[in-house]
Amino acid sequence: MFDQFLFVGLPYVAILSLVVGSVVRYKIRAFSYSSLSTQFLEDRWLAWASMPWHIGIIIILLGHILAFSVPGLWSALVSVPVFLFSVEALGVLAAVLSLLGLVILLIRRFVDARLQAVTSHLDVVVLLILIFQVSTGLAVALHHRWGAAWAPGALGPYIHSIFLLQPDASFVKEMPPFVKLHIASAWVLIMFFPFTRLVHALSVPLHYFVRSPQKVVWSSSRAQVRFEEKIQFDNEKRLFLKAAVGAGASAALLSLGVLDKFFRYFLKQDLTNAEESHILSQKLQRLKQSAAERELELERMNKDSIFVARLSELSSTRGKYFIDYQMRPALAFRDEGGLPILISAKCTHLGCTVGQDLDGQGRILCPCHISYFDIKTGQPSPGSPAKSPLPHLGWALKDEQGNLLMSQDPGGRREGAIGPSQTEKGLLFIVKRFS
Amino acid sequence: MSKQKNGFLKIIDFFSERIPFYNLNFEHMVTEKEVPVHRMSWAYYTGGLTLLFFLIQLVTGVFLLFYYQPTVSDAHASVEYITFFVKSGFLIRNLHTWSSSCMILCLLVHLITSFAMKAFARPREITWISGAMLLMITFAFGFTGYLLPWHQIAVNATKVVLQSIEEAGHYLPGALAALPSYIKEIIQGEVSVGQATLSRFYALHVVILPLLFMGVIGLHLLMVQLHGMSKGVDEPAKKSEKFFPFFILKDFWLWGVVFLIVFILALCLPFESFYSYPLFEAYDALGSTPDGIKPEWYFYFVYYPLEILPFWVVMLGMTVAGAGIFFVPWIFKNTSRKVLSIIAWIMAAYLIVITLFGQLIYEMFKGPK
Repeated sequence: MFDQFLFVGLPYVAILSLVVGSVVRYKIRAFSYSSLSTQFLEDRWLAWASMPWHIGIIIILLGHILAFSVPGLWSALVSVPVFLFSVEALGVLAAVLSLLGLVILLIRRFVDARLQAVTSHLDVVVLLILIFQVSTGLAVALHHRWGAAWAPGALGPYIHSIFLLQPDASFVKEMPPFVKLHIASAWVLIMFFPFTRLVHALSVPLHYFVRSPQKVVWSSSRAQVRFEEKIQFDNEKRLFLKAAVGAGASAALLSLGVLDKFFRYFLKQDLTNAEESHILSQKLQRLKQSAAERELELERMNKDSIFVARLSELSSTRGKYFIDYQMRPALAFRDEGGLPILISAKCTHLGCTVGQDLDGQGRILCPCHISYFDIKTGQPSPGSPAKSPLPHLGWALKDEQGNLLMSQDPGGRREGAIGPSQTEKGLLFIVKRFS
Repeated sequence: MSKQKNGFLKIIDFFSERIPFYNLNFEHMVTEKEVPVHRMSWAYYTGGLTLLFFLIQLVTGVFLLFYYQPTVSDAHASVEYITFFVKSGFLIRNLHTWSSSCMILCLLVHLITSFAMKAFARPREITWISGAMLLMITFAFGFTGYLLPWHQIAVNATKVVLQSIEEAGHYLPGALAALPSYIKEIIQGEVSVGQATLSRFYALHVVILPLLFMGVIGLHLLMVQLHGMSKGVDEPAKKSEKFFPFFILKDFWLWGVVFLIVFILALCLPFESFYSYPLFEAYDALGSTPDGIKPEWYFYFVYYPLEILPFWVVMLGMTVAGAGIFFVPWIFKNTSRKVLSIIAWIMAAYLIVITLFGQLIYEMFKGPK
């Protein structure tokens, strides 16, 4: 029965009071359509109270109006999780903001002597109802999560039924107490609306946005100067404050995004088994490669001759890389007679490693600065950045048993000779005494 | 006191003018400092931007240290690990490369504008010299950092540069001829570029150069604040704005915008996408040098002349320029801002043309590569 009164009787009383009261008040006392500003009496607290309250409540009201006037569209929107989270977060923020404003407004009414002189009982009542209203709304938002998603479906039909004059409060009666309180007190607010300062909501000076700016001029010149100085000072202060807030806020936003990315850098990596084994095998391969290089170095310190290749493996057009006694790269080719040509592959210009493929004219190319070298003479072709020839290396040919068959020193002097039958089996070595 | 001052007093006078310690107070350096507003005012932001990029380098560099391993067998693998497997690793590494290039770019703009605005004029010589030192340190950062990933282009480019040092020996007389190869060996640490080189470059890049840089930038900034902004243009400034809060706020605003841009660049565009991949394979000591070995773009201004002109001409030119930059305050003591800005334009035009069109010019002289 009481529910029936709160959610069916009260709404109609409230709406009747809103419509009749507003019209009658406008007819009888049009100039009382005002919030009775107290800015002249006290303006320091007011800024910190009125601004948050109005910003917060406008956001919240817009949300309520949107959700209940176009529930279909709204439901579609909030089905996107990001939108729902944003709306809920924004709503709670706005509620906290407006609650904060209201509380300061109330305190200010109580502690400022000049304000108390103009404060009516109704002012305090309105503030208390508003605080109650916002608090219950906040409680609903926090206790019964995702109101933006469930409210249009659960409460929309009730509100529509009121306006369609077919009141159906059955849904609302089953609601949790916070929701019921929130709705009932909303009707109370609406009922009080025409008799309080709240009427100023109907006289929002929207034309201020489009009219041309007005300049307030003071009648005394000294006051004018003082006023302008103050304005300038205020402007500078405001400019700095705005800039600082802007800079701070953007820095905060920026660092939020950046830190989000940076923070992950220090997390443990989630690697699949395949990735893990890929990384390990690669590491192992590189270690082996380094080990092989170290072995080469050791070998060159200790051995008198070092195996390069089987003579039969060598090609006359594509050189085989090997490392000489000084740990520098070198190339092994084979000439027309089947004998080896060993030539340094370290470019005499700036030390790049020369390529291994012969061009049509029997030359190899250093890719760094385009120097061509003839492998027979080692001479760079005219116009190459390299001026001095690539040196030849001495070599020795041995048979399988390790017997020396033939050798050549870096100058090209040969000792011994081999027949064509032996060239296929010959093993090519570089020799310490030639280097 | 006699009119003729003795040498000691002259030295005292010299330094008390250049290092005005009486300005070492909060009022002069912060609250009362004014920044002139004129057509070249934008140049006052270039130094700050360079500092921003240095700070980015510092932070991302320290981050990279968490995973990087400075050995010839592991360096390349660890860099690839950062790029492909560490969360946000590609971002940190990209930021480091992008911001290194940006830092050099800003530094060059800062150098050229300061020159054109005659910001080195008495009594600001120390500011200029410390700036020139920062330039050298930054190039050293670029050179040492380039080797650390131990990929083909890194090691081979380093080899080429080090070999060029040795090459200079051919042009020096007598006993001096051995000096360059001696220097090269000190830098290289062994017969060819190897583990010793990597360790040296690593120590330089992550410890010695940053410490040096921070010390010198401290001096540089202190000098800027002690002397206040140089006026920069010939005509007296009609307007000026307060350093604090207005200039500094704008400066931070610019930092925010620029950082956002570089951050997005690093997020979307790997710096290495400007090169072909084989250059980024692990260095292969036994293989041929791949095509396209080049230093970073900020060394083109010396790389392309080296490719085109005789070696000694370029070396001589660069030595003279490198040494000359420290003597700018005295060489151009009596030069007007107008002439200075013409020289600055020529320098800028040279840098821009050789950096953007170096390859084309090279092919014009030497035929297509």
